Order: sequence, then C-alpha cells, then structure tokens
Amino acid sequence: MRISLRKVEYECRQRGLNIGGLLREAAVSRNAFYSLARKDYVVPLSLVRIAERLGVSVSTLLEETDTPVGRMKALAAEAGRISRLYPEVDRDNVRHALLLLSEKPVERLRRALRRGRLFDIR
Amino acid sequence: MADSSIFGERETEFLRELVRQKVEFMVVGLSAAALQGAPVVTQDIDLWFRTLSDPGIERALKKVRGVYVPPTASTGPMFAGRGIELFDIVLRMDGLGGFDEEKKHAIKVPLGRLKVLVLSLERVIASKKAAGREKDKIMLKVLADALIAVRYHERSVSRRTAPRRRKPWHPTHPS
Repeated sequence: MRISLRKVEYECRQRGLNIGGLLREAAVSRNAFYSLARKDYVVPLSLVRIAERLGVSVSTLLEETDTPVGRMKALAAEAGRISRLYPEVDRDNVRHALLLLSEKPVERLRRALRRGRLFDIR
Repeated sequence: MADSSIFGERETEFLRELVRQKVEFMVVGLSAAALQGAPVVTQDIDLWFRTLSDPGIERALKKVRGVYVPPTASTGPMFAGRGIELFDIVLRMDGLGGFDEEKKHAIKVPLGRLKVLVLSLERVIASKKAAGREKDKIMLKVLADALIAVRYHERSVSRRTAPRRRKPWHPTHPS
C-alpha cells in the first residue's frame, strides 16, 4: 500500500491547495513527503503480510483513531469496564475522570478553578 | 479547552520561580486532585511549604512583584499580588505526616515545561478524610471514584505498552 500522488493532488485541488502549500500547512518537509511517496509500502511490512495471509486489503484491518466519536466510544467503554469491575463507583465520576485524563494537567487545573469560581465553592 | 486566563503566565511564573529558587513545596488539596484527573472544583491552589522561612520564597515573590502577608489573629499567612492571590499557603495537612514524609508520596506533574511536586491522589483522600469537614465529605466519593479510574487507566496504558503480566490487577476501592 503506497501513497497515491494522484489522490493527494486531487484532495489538494478540492481545497484550493497545491502540494507545496499542503506540506507547509501540515508542517511536513518536502523531503519527508517525497521519501514516503517513493516507497512501495508506507505501512509496516508485517501488517502487509498479515493482510495477504487473510486475503484482505490492509485498509480492511485499519480503523480511524482519535476521531471525536471514536474517543467518546472508547472512553464510555473504559468507564463501563471500570464500573463493572467496581460496582460501587459512580459511572459519571469515572467517565469525567477519564475525560480529564485525556487533557494536559494544566487544563485539568484550569477547569477545576474556572468551575470553582463559577459556583463559588470553597 | 479551559480558559487559560485563570491559570496563566503569572501563576506559572511564580511556580517556576519557586522551583528555580529550590523552594521545597508541593501542590496539595483539590488542586492536586484536579491535576491528577479528579473531576473536582476548587477556588484556589494550596501550596504546602516545607518551611516559610526559606529565603527563596521571598526571592520568588520579588520576581513576580508579590508580597508575603504575615498571619494575624484571624487569618493565616497569605500571598498578595497579581497572579499569586490564587495560591493559598498550607503549613500542615490534616491526617498526614510531615512534609518530608509526605514528599515520598508526591509525584511530579508537568505544567507546561515546568514540573511541580503534587501530593498523590491517595494522600489527598487521606487528608480529606482526616479533615472531616462537610465540604470534604462531599468530595470524598468523587475523589475515591477518580482514584479508581486514574489507576485503572494507568494500568491499561502500561499494559498496552509493556510485556504481558500473569496476575490480573484488582485495586480496592478507597472509600
């Protein structure tokens, strides 16, 4: 599985970009991009072999990560696992804690302070 | 993303100066819990100092144009000045050992490029239990649940990145 320059150019055109502009905005060097584009396989060879053994394309074995919906589903699933293991916990408390763990500590602190100020809790 | 004006450059600068001056302190209370992922609310950031006579505190205050307000009959010691009124001074913690003992339970938490010592969630819970105030009792359930979530999450992250363990892990609920 390799990068299709044709597809990249097509997606660029759709957004009024050229490849140079795209690379600048994406903070990817031309060297890095064209060295990737020259490769026959941009996914690990072991994954290619697994896909070949299964007789499917590599893309069949991949899934999107880090989409908002994916993140919330993963978070809800983890909260579910924890509350099944610890029936005494409040699932909402667990879910909120997990949500905060995906943020930087300073952002967690800001949230706590902002809400504290809002509700005048001491 | 939370509003960055509520804990911005001024507050960070004070903490940075304290670290630079090698002042021994740690973040405690609900701010410590929040930094570790507990969904709590708080109005101030409690800083527990090993000793208030550390001259580094004065130097750090000078850098941020803050001042130390000595205790009176009705108030404890305080900091005054823009950006540092958010910090409360703590000299002892209910139900916990001394500063040096509790430092062993503290963890380093990054605040941008700065790393500060923060009392562990377990010890925050212990101090809230010992304090026994109504507002602390209300928070205990949230803190205990958060502790379970945080530790479970840490374990699952380390399981994903480390070799397999044979024994399953089952922490006990701290409530």
